[in-house]
Amino acid sequence: MFAASDKGGTGRSVTSANLAYHRALDGDDVCYLDFDFGSPTAAAVFDLPDVLSEAEGRGLHSYLKGKTGEPLRVDVWSRTEHPVLRSRPGGSGRLVLLPGDRTGGEFVTDEENLHRCVDLVLRLKREFDVIIVDLSAGRSYAMDLALAATSPRGGLGRLKTRWLVYHRWTRQHVMAAAELVYGKQGIVQAGVAMGHETDALSASIRFVRAAVPNLDSPMWSQVSAAQYAWMRQCDTQLEEIAAARGIGKTRVLSSIPLEPVLQWQERLITDEDVHDRRIANVETWQKMGELAQRLTEDKHWGQL
Amino acid sequence: MSGPGTVFRETSAQPRTESVPFSHLSLELGHLYMEDFAEGPARLRRHFAAVRPWVDAARAAVGPLPAGKRPRISTCFLIDDYFSRLSTPAELIPPLLQAAAEAGLSIDYLARESGCAVAEPGHRDRAELAEAVLHRLVESPPPGSNGFRPPVSRTGWLTNGRRTPSHRTSAALDATGAVWEPPSETGARGHSVFVDVELWSGPEEERLWSCAFLASVWQLVRLGLLRHDGRAVLTPAPWDDKEFPAEWDALPPVVRLNPLAAPFTAYATCSVLPARFLPVEHAVRVVLDQVHVESEALRQIAERSAAEGMPVPAGIVDRTSYVFPPGL
Amino acid sequence: MSAPEEESRDTETVLACGEVRTCLLPTRDAVDEQVAERLLRLRADERVRLSRRPNRHAVSPDILTGVDCRLPTAGGAKIRAVGTVTARAALVEGRVLQATAHFAAPADGPDRRQPWGYYLVRPGVLVPVGRLARQAVVKGFLTGQQQDELDVGSVAESLLARISRQHRLLDYDTPLNTTDTSLRWAALPAADGEPAAPHFTVADDGRRVVELRLPRGTSPAAAATLCEDLALHDWLLTTVADKLDGLRLGSADGRAALKVLRPLVDHLLHLWMPQARVDRTLNALWQELEETPGFSRQWTSLAQRIRDQLAVQLLTRSDALTAS
Repeated sequence: MFAASDKGGTGRSVTSANLAYHRALDGDDVCYLDFDFGSPTAAAVFDLPDVLSEAEGRGLHSYLKGKTGEPLRVDVWSRTEHPVLRSRPGGSGRLVLLPGDRTGGEFVTDEENLHRCVDLVLRLKREFDVIIVDLSAGRSYAMDLALAATSPRGGLGRLKTRWLVYHRWTRQHVMAAAELVYGKQGIVQAGVAMGHETDALSASIRFVRAAVPNLDSPMWSQVSAAQYAWMRQCDTQLEEIAAARGIGKTRVLSSIPLEPVLQWQERLITDEDVHDRRIANVETWQKMGELAQRLTEDKHWGQL
Repeated sequence: MSGPGTVFRETSAQPRTESVPFSHLSLELGHLYMEDFAEGPARLRRHFAAVRPWVDAARAAVGPLPAGKRPRISTCFLIDDYFSRLSTPAELIPPLLQAAAEAGLSIDYLARESGCAVAEPGHRDRAELAEAVLHRLVESPPPGSNGFRPPVSRTGWLTNGRRTPSHRTSAALDATGAVWEPPSETGARGHSVFVDVELWSGPEEERLWSCAFLASVWQLVRLGLLRHDGRAVLTPAPWDDKEFPAEWDALPPVVRLNPLAAPFTAYATCSVLPARFLPVEHAVRVVLDQVHVESEALRQIAERSAAEGMPVPAGIVDRTSYVFPPGL
Repeated sequence: MSAPEEESRDTETVLACGEVRTCLLPTRDAVDEQVAERLLRLRADERVRLSRRPNRHAVSPDILTGVDCRLPTAGGAKIRAVGTVTARAALVEGRVLQATAHFAAPADGPDRRQPWGYYLVRPGVLVPVGRLARQAVVKGFLTGQQQDELDVGSVAESLLARISRQHRLLDYDTPLNTTDTSLRWAALPAADGEPAAPHFTVADDGRRVVELRLPRGTSPAAAATLCEDLALHDWLLTTVADKLDGLRLGSADGRAALKVLRPLVDHLLHLWMPQARVDRTLNALWQELEETPGFSRQWTSLAQRIRDQLAVQLLTRSDALTAS
């Protein structure tokens, strides 16, 4: 699964990490690759403070550049500082992070990077059920690499590949997300140029709406009638814009509600946050779980 | 050989390696492009007239042999039917042989360049000869190579040293990647003569082998160093007909025109070539220096040549020699 | 040119080291002999060696990789070596893929690097520039290399990667997740009368370390075969034990347990066959390992547990059926 987004601040990394966490809880062996060249953040989300410095010279950037043969792997369950995560639940699968280098930065990719990327994914495929690759925001070389690797000639063509494109629920974000996928030099066009089939590639792309205000939630119960009506109207208009640009409801895999905890901190939402500490909304927990489920449910995917 | 330090014996020899007969010298009487042939018989006569004195010199230089031994020398000529096919064997070969004969030279063996590239007729199951050689390339490691480096088959190029690091992979704002480094020749004497040889072009399924790489295969064939699964390759086929076929593919890759000729394969090669082939042959030397030849084939040659009192040099490259005469 | 005896004398090797990487072939089902041959045909002019007794086994031709770097040493001695590492891949029963990279080294070598041809006629030999401190190299090699030091693991890994990239022959849909293992080995000659006891150590992250004392005259290839055999059986033990470890018994309908147990029975249980191809002179080494840590003993017990579990699950299910 490749996680892309039109812009920064869409909750791409944090939601993808939560998705990984849910899949692992459900017993899958999950691997999370931080391809966010330039600002690797996964270590922070999984609460792995030492990993940033540890990954210096041994992270994914170093691996792709051919500086190290073995990218660093971090077992999240055993290394995290997060008090809840530290006790690995029975029946859960492995949860492993391959961090990026702190000073990696964005770089131009070439044939060698592509081979290394393919080799790495094929290797991880033997060990894991789900491989999540977090790409940088916007069009990036990492995205180029991902598209090239998964093209029929790229070496990963036979793997089941899915793309999640994250965007916030605003006019600008909706338009930017549609542009990122269907626009000029967008994912589909670039992919086709690399040998992807248009239909197959589009069928493997779904959208995730992030930080969506749920107007029926108690959070908005205090607003005035006028405010409420205005928000309703905006929501409806946004839905129309989205539909007109090909990213309407049928293309949405899940909508993650606006979650105050995530506004303050990029972190995993745990069962405990919801039920014991009651700092996070139960709906967020459920939606994250739903997203994780739907990732591999074929009925949510395919040509529409 | 079981001194106090000995631990591991040599890997057992492979007894199935077929042996081939050997001359002392394989002498190549030049190489021409198809366009040269198109210029007509006068062009060919001029070629062999210019080659002749150097052939005599090369013959005289064989040895020294033990008293009473006559040198075994075979001559050969390679026709380029791989990169272009302007003519047919029936049209092209008789004037060639005629021109050589007029200069007092006889071509013992005639070979087709595509024989160095593609599978042998009648052995369609065999992979391409050039591909087999490609798989036998073991890159000479520049100092610092520790085993973590892409193999040659990925890039299709072979060097005699270390390339300039690619600029394209340096990260933005990454100062360490920004400095230009020169390429270098491994084991250079003082200054480098760096060469990067293109082995093929085109997509993997329909590779077009480079002239330099096919010329390397041609040298290995003449030196009797190639085997396919232990069996000899490109064994010369006798050709007693006066007529030559109208299709290149109807002609065996290597034909023996002179029934009394010394063996095609030899301990050493000498090629008399126009100077325009100098860069190609430099590339050939870069390739030959990095081909891992089957050890049993090497051993057979070492033993037999030593028994004849004319031991071959250990390095394959050192078994080849060239003459680039003026006026060719 | 030197006479043949001279040639072989200066390649008399006093040390052999290598690494074996073992993984599940990335396919849903085990592949047949024909596919195995196509996967392992790494060189066009040399056949894949196939054998069917006592089990199906395919071995690729040897592939050489040139290196010129420092050897890992304990105590930081700087030893540069030049030459070739030899590597090959093997496929067991069309199911488990292994790649081995190894080298042997003589006690000393020329004081400067020779023309490359000198090393190419000594395949699989790393010639030290100067003298070789054997003990330091064995210790350093088994501990793991520093950056820029010899990395035979990468040589083996690149062979696995090369085979794994053949997407026309592979579907990448494995029936179970498994962790790759890497087994590093180093062998020195056994002193006269010294027992050939191997030291086998299990480290984290699928790393294994074996130190061997071998009878004089053992070929590096035979040592590599022995270690491939060790690696295969260690991988089987590790994989099966891991699966049983994570098994949630007593879950409601036992389906989860069946999901884990079935692939083990279908794909792995029949692969146990120690010493199928090991040189007879090395049998004693296997016997030592059968004593401690007791490979086959553990395997028998694991296999029995799987069969018992399956029997219990079946009983439970048929009970449930009768009851409903």
